[in-house]
Amino acid sequence: MNGLQGLSNDLAAAVERAGRAVFSVAGRARLGSTGVHWRPGLVVTADHTVHVDEEVTITGPDGRALTARVAGRDPTIDVAVLKVDAPGVQVADVADSSAVRVGHIVLALGAGPRASWGVVSSLGEGRMLHLDLTLYPGFSGGPLVDAQGRVVGINTSGASRHWQLAIPAAAVNRVVDELQRRGRIPRAYLGVSTQPVRLPEPVRQRLNLDQQTAVIVVEVQPGSPAAAAGLTIGDVIISLGATRITDPTDLKSALRPDRVGESIPASVLRGGEPKDLQVTVGERPRRS
Amino acid sequence: MSVRGAASGFGLSDIAALAEDLRRVTVEVTDDGELLGSGVLWPAGRVVTNAHVLRRPEVSLRLVDGRFVRARVVAHDPDVDLALLDIPGTGLPPATLAEPESVRVGSFVAAVGHPLGVRGALSTGIVCAIGPIERNGRAWIQADLHLAPGNSGGPLADAAGHIVGVNSRAAGPLALAVPMSVVARFVQAVRV
Repeated sequence: MNGLQGLSNDLAAAVERAGRAVFSVAGRARLGSTGVHWRPGLVVTADHTVHVDEEVTITGPDGRALTARVAGRDPTIDVAVLKVDAPGVQVADVADSSAVRVGHIVLALGAGPRASWGVVSSLGEGRMLHLDLTLYPGFSGGPLVDAQGRVVGINTSGASRHWQLAIPAAAVNRVVDELQRRGRIPRAYLGVSTQPVRLPEPVRQRLNLDQQTAVIVVEVQPGSPAAAAGLTIGDVIISLGATRITDPTDLKSALRPDRVGESIPASVLRGGEPKDLQVTVGERPRRS
Repeated sequence: MSVRGAASGFGLSDIAALAEDLRRVTVEVTDDGELLGSGVLWPAGRVVTNAHVLRRPEVSLRLVDGRFVRARVVAHDPDVDLALLDIPGTGLPPATLAEPESVRVGSFVAAVGHPLGVRGALSTGIVCAIGPIERNGRAWIQADLHLAPGNSGGPLADAAGHIVGVNSRAAGPLALAVPMSVVARFVQAVRV
């Protein structure tokens, strides 16, 4: 047997192994998606593929259709967690996604299982994994699998038509931890509306900033965490915690569910002068 | 399952050798100097290609060594998109066939053909799925690799270079190949 046959067998075995924890998810009309049995009774999928708020039919690798309930969502990273009683369905072997490097061979699985392969092409913001592979229709929410059949992320083509992305397993774990700890996934909230702004060159030089853009506050909701922290209209937010804020999307992804209740430093420009504020991340009030 | 063994034992030269083996058994199906598609040198002096590449009961095949031979169509079935051609002795060894249904989802596969006239081009990928692409459709080997016009009728092979299917068409980024079990049945049915 040559090395290529060995690789081929390993890839097929990885698909078989990971495929035992893969569900098909009927969370939207027409095109279904894929889910992963992440922890016993909890199936993770891509939030953008779950259009219903309560019950979803999911089908296990053995072909059994089960009724799952939406237990929580984190739209900031496109993760939804479904609760289901799935005895006999294996739980995924979730690996440490921080070990994933650019160039690693990875497989994307859809329910079936179906599979595509490629390499990790870059590590993006929040260590989102950018993939050089095809996510076929219905692959969103499915596992990104390493060559040993371990799950290192959840695939999504929801964020952009041009990028094939995977949410790293560590980020999914944070969301699932939060759900198990609080019984729900809270939505982190500041209470500001922002727009992107270009930082003037003299300001960048004077303050030694290497980012070209930031966001400007155009609205502060009264009584919100932002108001309590003293943020006002016209403030330019440069960073939040360790995250550089170059556009409103950065701000959204910095507001992870596990940050609710945390006090984090915010660097802002007010009238061109730097100012440090401390913001306590709140929880978005739930509609009753 | 030891991936370390495979990862360290697998070299790009394996792929180059595989490509070379496949090129030797891949022919160009032509008519009046026009490339119609690809074909596979089959055992017993036969060539298998797609039904949809053929227009007439006779074609000219260009072999890997540059020779042209005339081939006669002995069977043609558009339902399975396969055709069987008779060729005079070429002295070239035919393809090695894989056992039907030997590939699995995730298995490495390689295709050789003449996409857009590029002679002997290789594309590689894995088996994405095995089965129909639409409800009640026919079964395909669906491979996660790129095909283009000119690949039609060429071989899809496993990591050992054994033929697992005959490439038929592309469905977006997905390659669809007639599975070996169907090809074997088709070839066997032709007792002429």
